[in-house]
Amino acid sequence: MKIALVGNPNVGKSTVFNVLTGSNQQVGNWAGKTVERKSGIIQRANQTIEMIDLPGTYSLTAYSQEEIITREYILRENPDVVMAMVDASNIERNLYLVLQILELAPRVVIGLNMMDLAVSSGLTIHTAELALALNVPVIEIVAAKGKGIEEFLDEAIRVGTLSQDPLPRKVPYPQALEQKVRAMEGLLSKNPWATRYPLRWLAIKRLERDPEIGQDWKASAPGISQSKDSCCDTGYGVSYELLKTTSLPGEELLETYEAEGWSKDHFEMAFADAKYQYISEILPKFRTTINPGKPTWTDSIDAWALSPIWGYPIMMAVLGLVFWGSFVASAPLGGAISQGMAWSAEVIVRLLQWGQAPEFIQSLIRDGIFAGVGAVLAFVPQIAIFFAFFSLMQDSGYLARAAFLGDRFMQLMGLHGKSFFSLVSGFGCNVPGIMATRTLEDPKDRLITMLINPLIPCVPRLGVMSAVVAAFFPGSRGSVVMLSLLMLSMFLVMVSALFMRRVVKQTERSAFVMELPLYHIPTLRNVLLPTWQKTYSFLKRAWTFILVASIVVWFLSSYPQGVPMQATWAGKMGGWLSFIGAPLGFDWRIMVSIVFGFAAKETTLSTLGILYGVAANASQSIAQAMTGAMTPLNAYTFLVVYMLYIPCLASVVTTYKESGSLGWTSFGVAYNLILSFIMGWIVFHGGQALGFQ
Amino acid sequence: MERLLGDLKSGECACVKCIQGGGAIRRRMMDMGIVPGVELEVIRRAPFGGPLQVRLKGYYLAMRRGECAKIAVTDINEELIEQPLASR
Ligand SMILES: Nc1nc2c(ncn2[C@@H]2O[C@H](COP(=O)(O)OP(=O)(O)O)[C@@H](O)[C@H]2O)c(=O)[nH]1
Ligand SMILES: [Mg+2]
Repeated sequence: MKIALVGNPNVGKSTVFNVLTGSNQQVGNWAGKTVERKSGIIQRANQTIEMIDLPGTYSLTAYSQEEIITREYILRENPDVVMAMVDASNIERNLYLVLQILELAPRVVIGLNMMDLAVSSGLTIHTAELALALNVPVIEIVAAKGKGIEEFLDEAIRVGTLSQDPLPRKVPYPQALEQKVRAMEGLLSKNPWATRYPLRWLAIKRLERDPEIGQDWKASAPGISQSKDSCCDTGYGVSYELLKTTSLPGEELLETYEAEGWSKDHFEMAFADAKYQYISEILPKFRTTINPGKPTWTDSIDAWALSPIWGYPIMMAVLGLVFWGSFVASAPLGGAISQGMAWSAEVIVRLLQWGQAPEFIQSLIRDGIFAGVGAVLAFVPQIAIFFAFFSLMQDSGYLARAAFLGDRFMQLMGLHGKSFFSLVSGFGCNVPGIMATRTLEDPKDRLITMLINPLIPCVPRLGVMSAVVAAFFPGSRGSVVMLSLLMLSMFLVMVSALFMRRVVKQTERSAFVMELPLYHIPTLRNVLLPTWQKTYSFLKRAWTFILVASIVVWFLSSYPQGVPMQATWAGKMGGWLSFIGAPLGFDWRIMVSIVFGFAAKETTLSTLGILYGVAANASQSIAQAMTGAMTPLNAYTFLVVYMLYIPCLASVVTTYKESGSLGWTSFGVAYNLILSFIMGWIVFHGGQALGFQ
Repeated sequence: MERLLGDLKSGECACVKCIQGGGAIRRRMMDMGIVPGVELEVIRRAPFGGPLQVRLKGYYLAMRRGECAKIAVTDINEELIEQPLASR
């Protein structure tokens, strides 16, 4: 039996899903989309049940990527039962989706969640009356406390095993509309295609000129994945194939209506209107409000969190805490992982020496595989802690507030309020910053945010930059230089966003119409489970790429064997590239370090150390050695280029995985490179013209 | 008196009269419950010309001023004259 959880965003679907399926979940992607697909298998009453946690949606008319998925799933895969989750504290708008579901799916159970919140905001919901009004079973739940969830599932199974489809009450449409629906029903009833969906729903969609009506789709789904990996299987996307399009009757009727002024938009509006009308008619039967106007928890928190004076300082404090947690507090863990990797590399190399393995294998393992993969593994604590905070902020409802406050600044760049968080995260590490774009609904906003994120200098880059700045610009000049670099990055982020808007074609500007949910206290399971799943999938997707890339970098930098750095292939590459570097005043050493910086930018200092022949690994002494070979203007040019070109391999891989497009990833890489060198050129020649040396 | 939602001060209530423009934005507003006849309250306006926080049907919505300028509203006490659907 297939059961799908459907509802508005933030009503507790995932909470119910997590309680029911526990660790027995499979997290994958919907075919061709970056929206997560979560399913799980449970056993109840001799039944094997496949549960699907569908993305939150406000209606079944397609709008965002997530809503399209939910709609397609219900239409094309016909779940046996739909568990419709409703937020009791916001029942009026939630029922709008329920009414749409009831028209489409015959077997529905309503789960009335957040009963605790409803009570505390002075609402009483008479469940029996609601069930009676809609003629659908209704179960009260408090998902966060695990109350009512089993009953909800039992009821769904009972409805699923009924021998006949139950008959929910129909939405009564106004006379003029009802007539048109009837007329269309009459035309469609004899059509063989039309038998697969409820007739009334089909007639309504036909009047709205829904493009999918009449289409035949084949799902090439493996159904239940065979994979052994029980936790976080990333495979198993269902893809659909259009088989054929049947033209349905009623075209003439539609044209007649059109002539009378009943266009597609007009029908949509009329149906929506009638549904809301119906809800407000039945609402008094089952909802009573005591003490309206009494401020709720959410009101009191928002009075501070969204206040014009305190809102921004509070947001800074929250973001500061997130950064501290993910990038400062996690540092010892990351360090421990690096040390552990170095240590295990040593052990393996010892073993190899004992087994008299050739020298190059030892070097490959120590300097190639373990050094490269270790550099990425060191990110894992950062990413895990960052995602834990992220889930916490999203589930609690604060993320929406941050988007509210940041929207004005994002709007200047033509972006969405939710891009703000991704960009700010980029300061910590660009990898989670790019992954954080998942909350953006519009795929184009998402792509742009993803592509400009690398321009924001992450903590490791800032570390290298400040070492170089300290060596070349001692004293208070240093902070001025650092500030100028940060301003430059901000400026370029802005300009690039506006530029990308032109490159990335967008038919309609995305709307910023966003719900500000009530504040919730997230459950531990809701925070930890997705954190684990996301971290695991980061590891799983990144590691093959990183492994290959580490081997390539090692290979280039150690062959031909036994020659100085300059004569290795990587060194030669730096030499060839010096024609690009020359206009910027870069010598081959700088170019080599830039080439190597591709793997991970924090290695740049140590590469420079080797090239300038400084044995010590203290960053200060390396930078000091550079001062002899470079003028401050050279150094400043280097800093500009260093700050702006691709952050690291991991960020490129993440961009590829998140955008799913090699083309856009290459575009992003090329854009970064070209922009950084152009900026470097401007700085170098501008500086010379102004007489700096 | 007819005004635009974007012109309301914080704390003011009004009733939706019609939504100008069409396409995805209008459909989105419809999904969120902004249909003619619905009562709205502007809770606060974000500083520097940022979005508005609006309460309707017992929940909160954030909307940019640009979107708010598409929503024509009337005062609540004014009797909403039932209009034929075709004129909306
Ligand atoms: N107060 C309260 N909070 C809940 C309840 N059920 C879920 N939540 C919280 O609501 C938030 C959103 O839940 P989630 O399952 O992620 O919603 P989804 O978007 O529908 O998947 C989380 O912080 C939950 O902890 C409930 O019954 N009462
Ligand atoms: Mg969810």
